Amino acid sequence: MILEAKNVSKIYGDGTAKVFALDNISLQVNEGDYIAVMGPSGSGKTTLLNVLGGLDRPTKGEIILDGMRIDNLNENALVNIRRGKIAYVFQEYHLIPSLTALENVMLPLIFSGSPDGTQKQRAIEMLGKVGLSRRANHKPTELSGGEQQRVSVARALVNNPTLILADEPTGNLDYNSGLEIQRLFDQLNEEGHTILMVTHDPEKASHAKRLILFKDGKIVEDKNQDDKK
Amino acid sequence: MKLYQVALKEIIRRKIRVMYTSLGVIIGVTTIVAILTIALAGQIKINDELNKYGPNLMVTPAISDISMSLGGLSMGTLAVGENYIQDNVLPKVRQITDDLIRKGFKDRGIPFEDVGNIATIAPRLYTNADINGKKVIVVGIDPAEERKLRIWWNIAQGKYIEKEDEALLGTHAFGALKLNVGDTLLIGKKELTVIGVLEETASIDDYQIFIPLKTAQVAFGKEGSISTIDIRALCNACPVEDVARGINNEVAGVRAVAVKQIASAEMGMMEKTNNFLLVLAGITMIVGCLGVINTMMTSIHERVREIGIMKASGASQGQLIQVFLFEAIAIGVIGGIIGYIVGTIAAYIIGPLIFKGIVIRFVLEYLPISLVLAILASIFASIYPSFRASRIKIADAFRTL
Ligand SMILES: Nc1ncnc2c1ncn2[C@@H]1O[C@H](COP(=O)(O)OP(=O)(O)OP(=O)(O)O)[C@@H](O)[C@H]1O
Ligand SMILES: [Mg+2]
Repeated sequence: MILEAKNVSKIYGDGTAKVFALDNISLQVNEGDYIAVMGPSGSGKTTLLNVLGGLDRPTKGEIILDGMRIDNLNENALVNIRRGKIAYVFQEYHLIPSLTALENVMLPLIFSGSPDGTQKQRAIEMLGKVGLSRRANHKPTELSGGEQQRVSVARALVNNPTLILADEPTGNLDYNSGLEIQRLFDQLNEEGHTILMVTHDPEKASHAKRLILFKDGKIVEDKNQDDKK
Repeated sequence: MKLYQVALKEIIRRKIRVMYTSLGVIIGVTTIVAILTIALAGQIKINDELNKYGPNLMVTPAISDISMSLGGLSMGTLAVGENYIQDNVLPKVRQITDDLIRKGFKDRGIPFEDVGNIATIAPRLYTNADINGKKVIVVGIDPAEERKLRIWWNIAQGKYIEKEDEALLGTHAFGALKLNVGDTLLIGKKELTVIGVLEETASIDDYQIFIPLKTAQVAFGKEGSISTIDIRALCNACPVEDVARGINNEVAGVRAVAVKQIASAEMGMMEKTNNFLLVLAGITMIVGCLGVINTMMTSIHERVREIGIMKASGASQGQLIQVFLFEAIAIGVIGGIIGYIVGTIAAYIIGPLIFKGIVIRFVLEYLPISLVLAILASIFASIYPSFRASRIKIADAFRTL
């Protein structure tokens, strides 16, 4: 088990405006897991990913990563988690527009202070892995949505994270591009990466080994779907 | 790739916004550079003007019935008495003056070029003479020293005295005597050539005839005598009162008077005005900084996504602040350079409107000063915005879209 959520709640607002974005969630993620999270809009999926990944703090409960509580860590300690243990892929790709694909992939290595040579070598390797070697020197605006998302996957992989959190990574993509990204995630999981992915698309969810159904901040179903694989 | 390169690429992408942000710094630096440049030129101009008011010190015989006033205006009625200074006191006067000025410079920490003779020391011998039936005052001068002292003398015709037997005429003396340049003039027992005529000075000089001191002494049988010594100390910070006291104490038979320091009073006014303007410029700078803070806050709002991306990619708060500091430095460099250029141009345009006939020079030393000032100001202005930026939560950064 690499990540565990224990009785986690995330409450926005107070009084009558109180929103239980997460309502007493408990969840375990094991090494090599490939989890799809599905649920209606506003059910708390993004909130779950943010809280699990240390992008936001839970109101109640504990998050334990590799045996260490991270929900109460200060900002500096969270930086270290983002520099290796957890990586994120977002629906909107979130690339820096002034940097080339290669430089965007290098970004996490710049922040973690890797030497220049290593940065470039590692980033080229990761771009190769997502099949974008030939686009290395293009700016995000010169890339298609699918290509941009592959850059962001390469960026997520560059620090060799324990866990990849992806929030609707195919949400902005057309069918074919979405399928390519989906295959990329399948491949990464086969190579041993642990993935937790939010999706609205049942077909994409069917690629995962485990499915979590979400509603009103609660897990309504958590099942293995190895059979489908 | 280094962090500053990432920052630089973002700055280049957002160049219009960065330029706009540096506007506050540009305005502040422009004001300061324009004020300093005009003030410096104004000071030089005032200095030049003040030199025309006369010497800093006047030395006269200790017992004298000559009433000497500033610029010698009462000279017309003087009965040039029998009181003279012996010209062998001149080396002593020079030594005392130069020593005290040197000491004055050193005490005040003012750098100066020690070229041997510091002060200008111009002895004069006044005599009445009958020339072509007209009574004229003939003044024996040391031509070289006199020229340095009376920098406002311009030659209207001919040239300045170079030889012992040459005479220089004030414009009215020249007119009254109905002479031409090159004519011979009999002064006492001596024949001299009219070598040049002065432009009008609007002073007693216009009515006088100037001849070399030695020639005057011989011509009037007054070897070794002089009437007055004019001393110019060359600087406003110079301790003329000290020099006057020194001469009075150490040289017998003379009385040295420090000419009322119009110069220092004028410079004092100038300094007060400068200080006032610099305070105004400082306020402009502060207002400029507030502008920078404001635009930076806006730009953080615009860049909340980039900030989120950097944080999600493992940027620490310190690294984010660094990125913003790089931007502040860029804004400072842009603001400093443009502010210096615009400020100098403004000085060229506005300066002559304030001081007539001023000569504005660009002061290259103000460029590094502008840069340092601008960078410090923009760093100061970006402290709060960058602190705020570094505290943005990733989840919020991506949700506000
Ligand atoms: N910062 C916030 N302040 C107040 N309420 C919030 C905030 N963030 C999320 N919420 C609320 O929490 C609930 C869960 O939001 P969340 O974004 O996690 O949903 P989601 O399942 O990801 O939805 P979607 O499928 O549309 O992305 C929603 O009702 C939302 O309005
Ligand atoms: Mg969501």
